[in-house]
Amino acid sequence: MSVKRRQVLKGALSLSALSLSYPLLKPANGFAAEKTTAVVIGGGLSGLNCALLLSDFGIDVILLEGSNRVGGRARTADGVETRPEYGASEVGRSYARAIDLCARLGVNLLPDERTLLPMSNYVNGTWVRSEDWADSPANTMPDGERETPPLMVGMSLLSRLNPLKNLDDWLSPEFAAYDISMRELFLNNGASDEAMRLAGIPMDLRVTSSLGMMQERTRTLFDANFGRTQVEVADTPFGLAATRQEGEETPPVRTIAGGTSRLPEAMAAALGDRVRMGKVAVEIDMSGSGAEIRCLDGSRYQADFVVSAAPFTTLRNIAVSPRFTGRQAEAVLELGYRGTTRAWGVVEAPYWEEDGLEPSFFTDETIQTVVVLDKLPGEDKHRFSIVFTGPSAARIDQLPDDQAVALIESEMARIRPSTRGKMRFVDLYGWRKNPLIQGCRHLFRPGQISRFAKEMIMPHHRLHFAGEHTRRMDFGMEAALESGERAAVEILQRA
Amino acid sequence: MNIAAHSRPIAAGVVCAALLAGLGAVSLALAGQEAPAQARATAGEAPDPQLVARGKRLYVFCQACHATEAVPGSKIGPHLGGIVNRPVASVEDWVYSDALRSADFVWSEENLDVWLQRPTDLVPGTNMSFAGLPRKEIRAALIAYLRTL
Repeated sequence: MSVKRRQVLKGALSLSALSLSYPLLKPANGFAAEKTTAVVIGGGLSGLNCALLLSDFGIDVILLEGSNRVGGRARTADGVETRPEYGASEVGRSYARAIDLCARLGVNLLPDERTLLPMSNYVNGTWVRSEDWADSPANTMPDGERETPPLMVGMSLLSRLNPLKNLDDWLSPEFAAYDISMRELFLNNGASDEAMRLAGIPMDLRVTSSLGMMQERTRTLFDANFGRTQVEVADTPFGLAATRQEGEETPPVRTIAGGTSRLPEAMAAALGDRVRMGKVAVEIDMSGSGAEIRCLDGSRYQADFVVSAAPFTTLRNIAVSPRFTGRQAEAVLELGYRGTTRAWGVVEAPYWEEDGLEPSFFTDETIQTVVVLDKLPGEDKHRFSIVFTGPSAARIDQLPDDQAVALIESEMARIRPSTRGKMRFVDLYGWRKNPLIQGCRHLFRPGQISRFAKEMIMPHHRLHFAGEHTRRMDFGMEAALESGERAAVEILQRA
Repeated sequence: MNIAAHSRPIAAGVVCAALLAGLGAVSLALAGQEAPAQARATAGEAPDPQLVARGKRLYVFCQACHATEAVPGSKIGPHLGGIVNRPVASVEDWVYSDALRSADFVWSEENLDVWLQRPTDLVPGTNMSFAGLPRKEIRAALIAYLRTL
């Protein structure tokens, strides 16, 4: 036994000696490294924008995308009936970069005419129509809270407590006291237990920095007021206030004609063969006089500069030399991410006419939020989508798609029998299960903004940072574009 | 020091030091060696072409919103043709924010310098979403380019 152990140890030692000497060996059949000026890792909107802007100035650039498609979290389910958007879909009126890129690349924007149909609630085992909610016995929140629809309780509390005025206030030490969990913020401000419970259904109160959510809320208000007379903006479940002001011809939110994916595809087409697909970066070596990026398939790229336009969930799996240090290392390893899972489908018959409840509904059980959209002219059936986050997303994500849909159908039929056989599912997507992203978005955990929001975007040797998580002023797809622009300018000042 | 001398890779330590020295309230990280303080060209004087070239690269921050001249298009900000010494909120028919519309000054280089550091410090309530340029010589380069418009 002891002999065997020694042999194992000896083997392990010689193995490590071999791995130490490995960098000195020439790869037998490896690719020759391709040389360029800048390598961008990640073909989402941030990486594509960065690469395009660098190309505009004649900088040689290669973009490495790990999957077989560009766009990242801008992803249209082409070929699926009703063509769901898995990720980004809305272009706000102040999304300067998205609007400008669409104009430049010949991608059209269309007014988002769809409206959300009214929402009933299934809370504490009882159905309540929206207009009855404030006085319902199922609503156990005290006065001052009970008027708020259950889905909006968290957002409403947050809006009321949000002290931010300017888009960059969230980075100011003046507001660091708000870099606490939403749970703590709500507790400190006297929220009731039931309000906390309801707020915690669509939002992960314990792991979400209030300050990070306030950044988004402030940006939402900015968008809603952009180019308008100042308005009071109602909280809406979609983030943006997609309501028209009186006398306004067009809705404030637009979508990309043909689906959100058309924008990243047009950007990739403009870059041509500088975009390389299926290239999973595994190593960034900046220990020599330049940077060398190695991919899983053995291909190598040498560049003066590198941009990580990948989420930190991916960057943390790439071997970076010299290593990240201090708060930046902490950020790359610890930055929170959130998963959202959605299902889409078609309403075959208006089940709400049977039970007298409203079409959309929110529940405090497995089925979180069912959104039914108004029909557009020319459509004969309503479309729906169901949003799952937190524990309900975790429950759905455990299952293969067919079993997940079966579970959703049976849960819906249990709590709302009129839906049985009336809701036909066409698709399901959970961002947590996407191996190259592992979430639908970053989410600063309590304390993380004060700890590393500034440090995490500082260039590390020749490596610069882009991606929606490195935003400064924006949100949504504009945050991704903003970050790619910043990384491009950083490199333009060095190259 | 000329700008061309910056074009070669720079020792990492120098970059980090320069970055940390340049951190403002908003840490817009612009890498690169500190350029020596540039003497500001006064009106009528030809601007330093290297400074202008550097400023043109910084205009990437502006271009999504602002055209360089009065042309039809879909950009969401007013054009910047002749912006230096132009009166505030003076592009005809442009829907400015209430804050800018009620402001009264000209876009002198001094005002632009304050504006580009943090727009809301000069005009609270402005509609311009811009992270700001914490380093003065970066702003000087951008302003040198704006003078050519």
